[in-house]
Amino acid sequence: MIEFLQVLILGICLGFVYALMVSGLTLIFGVMRIVNLAHPILIICGAFVSYWLFILIGLDPILSIPIAGLVVAALGVVIYKLIFERNAAQQTYSEMTVLLTFGTAMVIDGILSFVFHNTQRTTSPSYATDAIFIGDIFIPLAQLYSGLVSSVIIVGLAVFLKYSDFGIAIRATSQNRTSAELVGVNVKFVCLISFGIGCALAGAAGALVSFIFSFFPSRHWEWIAIMMSLVVLGGMGSLKGAVIGAIVLSVVSSMVGAFISPAWSTMVFFLSLFLILIIRPKGLFGIQSD
Amino acid sequence: MVSNQTELIMLGVMKILKEKGSFLLNNKKIIPFLILIVLTGLPIIQFFGNYNYLIHIVLFSFLYITMSSSWNIIGGYGGFISLGHNVFFGIGAYFSGFIFVRYGISPFITALIAGLVAALFGFVVGFITLRVKGPSYIISSIALLMIFRILFDRWELIGGTHGMTLPHNTFPVEWSKIPHYYALLLLMVLSIYLSWYIRHSKFGLALRSISHDEIKSAVTGINVKIIKVTAYALSAYFIGAAGAIWGDYLTYVRPNIFFIILIAANMVLMCILGGKGTVTGPIIGTIVMIFFNEFILAYFGATELNIFFTGFLMIITLMYFPEGIVGSLKKRKLLPGFLDWG
Repeated sequence: MIEFLQVLILGICLGFVYALMVSGLTLIFGVMRIVNLAHPILIICGAFVSYWLFILIGLDPILSIPIAGLVVAALGVVIYKLIFERNAAQQTYSEMTVLLTFGTAMVIDGILSFVFHNTQRTTSPSYATDAIFIGDIFIPLAQLYSGLVSSVIIVGLAVFLKYSDFGIAIRATSQNRTSAELVGVNVKFVCLISFGIGCALAGAAGALVSFIFSFFPSRHWEWIAIMMSLVVLGGMGSLKGAVIGAIVLSVVSSMVGAFISPAWSTMVFFLSLFLILIIRPKGLFGIQSD
Repeated sequence: MVSNQTELIMLGVMKILKEKGSFLLNNKKIIPFLILIVLTGLPIIQFFGNYNYLIHIVLFSFLYITMSSSWNIIGGYGGFISLGHNVFFGIGAYFSGFIFVRYGISPFITALIAGLVAALFGFVVGFITLRVKGPSYIISSIALLMIFRILFDRWELIGGTHGMTLPHNTFPVEWSKIPHYYALLLLMVLSIYLSWYIRHSKFGLALRSISHDEIKSAVTGINVKIIKVTAYALSAYFIGAAGAIWGDYLTYVRPNIFFIILIAANMVLMCILGGKGTVTGPIIGTIVMIFFNEFILAYFGATELNIFFTGFLMIITLMYFPEGIVGSLKKRKLLPGFLDWG
């Protein structure tokens, strides 16, 4: 029972980090119908920003979240201007856009691998190896802090989307682009800013990832399928769905890893991705595509 | 006076060449036939020295032309962009490799059976996956690849992550590549023929109509499901067979060689660069890509920059000429006839 609770808590903490990792992905899909396969490599960009800040000036990865977010958001806006702007204009849900994001992922992966090489890196703040005990349950501080920070950011994002004027404009655009334009929303600007926010979330997630996982540029190929499985289970384009999908799958995969074999824990993501896409492509809470 | 005469003769020859040249360029059969003869005879140069690098590049092109032409059947004609098609490549390699290691039967004998296994497998997978379309299909194909990577990594019978080491042939070094050369040449010719045949058959017409609109195709009386799945299985066949030969060529089969997404990305890019949905597109795309890659390797060394340039080329192609080289030339009516196979 203790072991079960232990795995459950770790799974939930990790689930919130996963939720932060995919929140940007699902936001971008909601507004522009772009399935951004370059999202995982943007997370790794954020992790690199955090890593170098930690190595060079000793800045704590949690404190470097805003910087990582801003840097990756700037990168995202540049990518958006160069590549996706004309695709976003027509809101097509096409295969070609997916391949375009795939090409972007390859380009960034190539540059990062060339400059930094594919060695495993991780930041090591003082709490990275620490843990606290509640009764007999052992909770590593790194997981706990990253889970808490992620949940704060996600709640902030949800509040922003729900109550701020700009958040309402984003939700209006994702519901119906033409109607949003009719009532006076500057859809082009909304798209640009939501892409920026999505990338900023990727950067923030990268800062957290830098101390709970070891990362290297080519790792994003594996993350593509993992992150897709999280958003597809909850339904593409829905923030609530992404959070629920991330927590459910993270807990299940932790359980499989703890009680069956660590080797099969990632299989949970891939198998659920495959099955959900075949059985119910729009997921549990997904918005209608097309 | 003499020079004047030679000049006149030269001009005459040029004129004839120009007329005959355009005839040559526009005839659909002569140039491909000549190329085939040259390729068949190419290994003769091994009598004059060791040209293993050239042979390697040519047979590598054969491999990828086979794969991208096969991918084109489902990805180009059918409109199902698969980023996990090298699953069949791996299955073919593992099937033949396993038989070679266990029973000593050479992959050259079992390659066509390996293709059959891959096709059978494609038939089953196609029944499950081809019901979704668009981006969902792309992502499900990536998921399929990841599932296979983990399965083959964990399957101890076939060596797990270490894979299997195959015995290699005992020919002298100049001749050791020649069997693979001819096997892949044969597979390439057959796969191009299959692609051409499908492009001009009623089956291919149905497939292309499905790629535009499945519901309307079904209304006109096309059995959508069977056509899709059969096309998927056909496109798996030669990829599986080529995988068997390629496993023997490398002398080892290992999950991290065969089940990586970059192979699928290369197939897709070669096909799109040349022009998807055309018969000659994948051929041209593959040749351009392989020369481009070798050029990058020669100038920048074997680094990750290759991934960068592949991605860059993909973006440029998709943004500025999504119909690919053959498609764009055809649209502007600049395509020489010998490349215009439909």
